[in-house]
Amino acid sequence: MSLFVRDGAPVIVQGMTGHQGMTHTARMLKAGTNILGGVNARKAGQVVELPDATGVVRSLPVYANCAEAREATGAEASVVFVPPRFAKDAMIEAIEAGIPLIVVITEGIPVADTAYCVSLARRKGVRIVGPNCPGLATFGETDGATGTNLGIIPDGIVKRGPLGLVSKSGTLTYQLMGELSDIGFTAALGAGGDPIVGTTLLEAVQAYAQDANTKAVVMIGEIGGDAEQQVADWAKTHMTKPLVAYIAGFTAPEGKQMGHAGAIVSGGKGSAADKKVALEAAGIPVGRTPGQTAQIMREILTTRGII
Amino acid sequence: MDLYEYQGRQLFEEKGIPVPEGIYAETAEDARKAADEIGYPCVIKGQAKIGHRGQAGAVKIARDADEAYELAQRILPMSVRGHKVHGVLVCAAANILHEYYVSISVDRTSRDYDVLATAAGGTEVEEIARQHPENVRRLHIDPYADFTIDDARVMAEKIGFYHADNEQAAQILLRMWEVFKENDATLVEINPLAKIGSPDDESSKSLCALDSKVSLDGNAAYRHDGWKRFADDTGVDPLEKRAQAHGLHYVHLNGQVGVIGNGAGLVMSSLDAVAGAAEDQGTDIKPANFLDIGGGASAEVMAECLSIVLADPAVRDVFVNVYGGITSCQLVAEGILEALDTLGTTVPIIVRFDGNAAAEGLETLRSSGRGNIIVESTMEKAAAEAARIAADAERQDAAKRGVAQADASKEGENR
Repeated sequence: MSLFVRDGAPVIVQGMTGHQGMTHTARMLKAGTNILGGVNARKAGQVVELPDATGVVRSLPVYANCAEAREATGAEASVVFVPPRFAKDAMIEAIEAGIPLIVVITEGIPVADTAYCVSLARRKGVRIVGPNCPGLATFGETDGATGTNLGIIPDGIVKRGPLGLVSKSGTLTYQLMGELSDIGFTAALGAGGDPIVGTTLLEAVQAYAQDANTKAVVMIGEIGGDAEQQVADWAKTHMTKPLVAYIAGFTAPEGKQMGHAGAIVSGGKGSAADKKVALEAAGIPVGRTPGQTAQIMREILTTRGII
Repeated sequence: MDLYEYQGRQLFEEKGIPVPEGIYAETAEDARKAADEIGYPCVIKGQAKIGHRGQAGAVKIARDADEAYELAQRILPMSVRGHKVHGVLVCAAANILHEYYVSISVDRTSRDYDVLATAAGGTEVEEIARQHPENVRRLHIDPYADFTIDDARVMAEKIGFYHADNEQAAQILLRMWEVFKENDATLVEINPLAKIGSPDDESSKSLCALDSKVSLDGNAAYRHDGWKRFADDTGVDPLEKRAQAHGLHYVHLNGQVGVIGNGAGLVMSSLDAVAGAAEDQGTDIKPANFLDIGGGASAEVMAECLSIVLADPAVRDVFVNVYGGITSCQLVAEGILEALDTLGTTVPIIVRFDGNAAAEGLETLRSSGRGNIIVESTMEKAAAEAARIAADAERQDAAKRGVAQADASKEGENR
């Protein structure tokens, strides 16, 4: 298994028939994701035809609900593109259907809805990634294997390699993937920019620590909350693989939300400077820019003989 | 979205949380009338979305109508640490016997709701937490499980209310939870939750919310009629308002380099890169704004973005930083050219593209023949160039001002 999903795992898309859903279903299929259907109660019974990675056109049934879709496809993951106001029901449906991995791309979900679903998912042993994230992309368990692309992370930037990446930001994920594309990745996980997310930076770092193929980890944080400090606390005594971090938002003023719902310094808490101090105190280097972060990782990998 | 005290109070009243009698007034004359209705002494409380209003002199006691009028007149035009006062709340004064602190908020760390309370209220809860952490209780409400009156009673017991206050405290806790849940709040705070009444008359004593601090989740506005009843433009930056009307996220930052990018993280990173480059160059150039064009940006969106950023007169140049994931850099390039045609600006635009159609986009910009477009290969180089150009422009302006001043003083001598 790569990070949270095995190669070739059957996947469904909730909100497949919407504009975003359709665009990215087509793209994920081309990237090698084994998508077998979609869910939309109002369009149940319809079939969407799209070519997969080998150019073969797949007929993807639209199911009325997740239980039906899971029954028919054996889905091990669902990607959620539904609008914010329907996202809670979509997540509950997927959790109740027993789909073990739910990747939520949707931005703008009320935090109470996310809190409810994350609590429910944890009770049921289901993993939510996101919301408000670019998704999860894996790059194959073995050389030459095709990974699974769940969400909107562009394919074709990187090849399989020894790095694991976790990030609160979409475009910074792509940026770091681009900077380190020659080295390659096992997986890239967008944790999301909301105050509450299903998979925290720490949970992703812990999973990479367990993953035999991952030799080093890049973490991209930003202002707000203390997810980075949690990583620092844990890594201090538990992390044996190199971990390099980047934090965005040093110039963000107090009390201003910087785009992401969770990106806010409030009551003097959640500043980039505090996160940097905590990470460095735990022996985790923090780059000044994405480029410098990549450079630090490169040097560590060379020193350790990983590349 | 933060509410004023008087708005949070409305939510409390709707759920039956006891509050002192109070009337909101926007003029000194209305404040006088309100005070007459409530009786004396009463409290004139300036409404601003910030704490420590009392320390700033925005909360005062009035003993008669003239004093109420004078105090309102003094408080209404005030600002409390940069937050403009917007109206006053005229409240009945209460005899405070004891003060508690209670809040419910979203806990990002434990991914549930956090009830923070202390029976040793009266001052800053942060201060108590620092000096006497044993006096502060931190309890949790599971977002999935229900919170009932029995849970509230157990919680009140744990918080350590005086025995006589336990039952009323439990009722208030439950109602705070209802305010929190039904309004999609991210924070509901009562500080102080005061025991008021006459010290000698047991029957007169009761708990009362003497202040309110409520924040609502912006993402949930759609299921509350957009919170029209709490709409408030006081102190909102006009450019931020304009961006919002276009569904764009803009934050004004008082620097010289305009910044536009795609994705909140990349834009924040771009701001940091500009400030960092300026520091390396030994100047005090800063980013002028945060502006995220979002995913799949069109030419029109790009044009609107440039026009908003350039409406800030302090902006010397603009750094456009786009990583094309799904967004095509070619489309962004077309948007920039279209925007420059419309705006007719000669302000330097420093562009860095990477990812999807980056090469095509850069070629489109290069072949446009526009002298004010500068293309850089990396984000770091582009940020450094933007900082340098802005610093040069500042220096030239300062020099011009210097010459003008010298001329003016020379003229003075000749006269």
